[in-house]
Amino acid sequence: MEEYHSGDEVAFSPDDASNVVKELCLCVFIGQCIEGIVGGVDYSQNKVNQWTASIVEHTLTQLVKQGKPFKYIVNCAVMQKSGAGLHTANSCYWDTTTDGSCTVRWENRTMYCVVSVFAVAIAL
Amino acid sequence: MASQPLPLSQETLAQFNRSMAPEPGASGPPRRRLGSISTRRSSKDQSKDQPHHRPLSLRGKTVPSSESSFLSTKISNSHISMGRRFSFAGWHQGGRVSFSGLYLQQPIQEVYVENTYRMGPEPGCHFSASRTRQILQATLDSYLEGVCYSPDSCSQLCQILADLFLSKLKDVNPPRYKLVCQVVVGQSGKQGIRVASRSLMNPNTDNYTSAVFQNHSLFAVALVHGMYFE
Repeated sequence: MEEYHSGDEVAFSPDDASNVVKELCLCVFIGQCIEGIVGGVDYSQNKVNQWTASIVEHTLTQLVKQGKPFKYIVNCAVMQKSGAGLHTANSCYWDTTTDGSCTVRWENRTMYCVVSVFAVAIAL
Repeated sequence: MASQPLPLSQETLAQFNRSMAPEPGASGPPRRRLGSISTRRSSKDQSKDQPHHRPLSLRGKTVPSSESSFLSTKISNSHISMGRRFSFAGWHQGGRVSFSGLYLQQPIQEVYVENTYRMGPEPGCHFSASRTRQILQATLDSYLEGVCYSPDSCSQLCQILADLFLSKLKDVNPPRYKLVCQVVVGQSGKQGIRVASRSLMNPNTDNYTSAVFQNHSLFAVALVHGMYFE
């Protein structure tokens, strides 16, 4: 006999202290992930491809491991520090009660790294 | 069973169903009806033959009066799952009548959108990456032509661009698609920059696109993802 689920919804809200956030610990994790990949190294044009690919891959893998009913988008921008300015903005057309995003900024001596995670709910 | 006076909630049910259903208890080939609330009565009639079905089977069909009780359970299962979103809650046994003649337990029809039974976007209604890219590129070119980078104004410019893209894309957005748009604007210099994106999505229904603009003083990268809301 199938169980009748009353539509439990999981919301993605990295800003408030919900259970989802405690489980995800997203911002902390992303920071650690970046640190592990590019922490302590200088910007290198040859390696930046690898770095960005690793960062997004690790982040996405960890998100998927949570097993939540979301589709994820992970964007990463790595820029060399040279005095130039950088701005990022995003806008989303979604359901604000169930979907959410999280942006982490990280820098070291020679580069900036901005990682944005968007989670779009799917109804099960 | 027939000699007992029906409780009032069932009386109404009986009235309702008289207009919909043939005579109850008619023997013969199993009758199947979708979307009627006759199940309750028919399950009551056939309760001597069948295992008692819970009120959840309201949404189900008339239970066939055959020996294959496992089969009937299966049918009612599948219709329970189909009827998840369609609720006729409140038809409990023993509904009482208030003094004014109104039911205390009226069928509470919550506002559910009717099930469209769509499993995916309609053919031709997918997120079009090429059309979106054209829109993005045209907007970037027209908006940023001749613009010089300035730290004060570019942060606002970035947000304005993101909102502008969204408003343009909403017009051409197919139904049931969610949009995520990110814009990166930076000063053109000798620095290197790499923007990467990875997503977990359904490649049959979801897609993304990007556009780049560069002039002598600034560069802009726009990324848009269209996700089908399943």
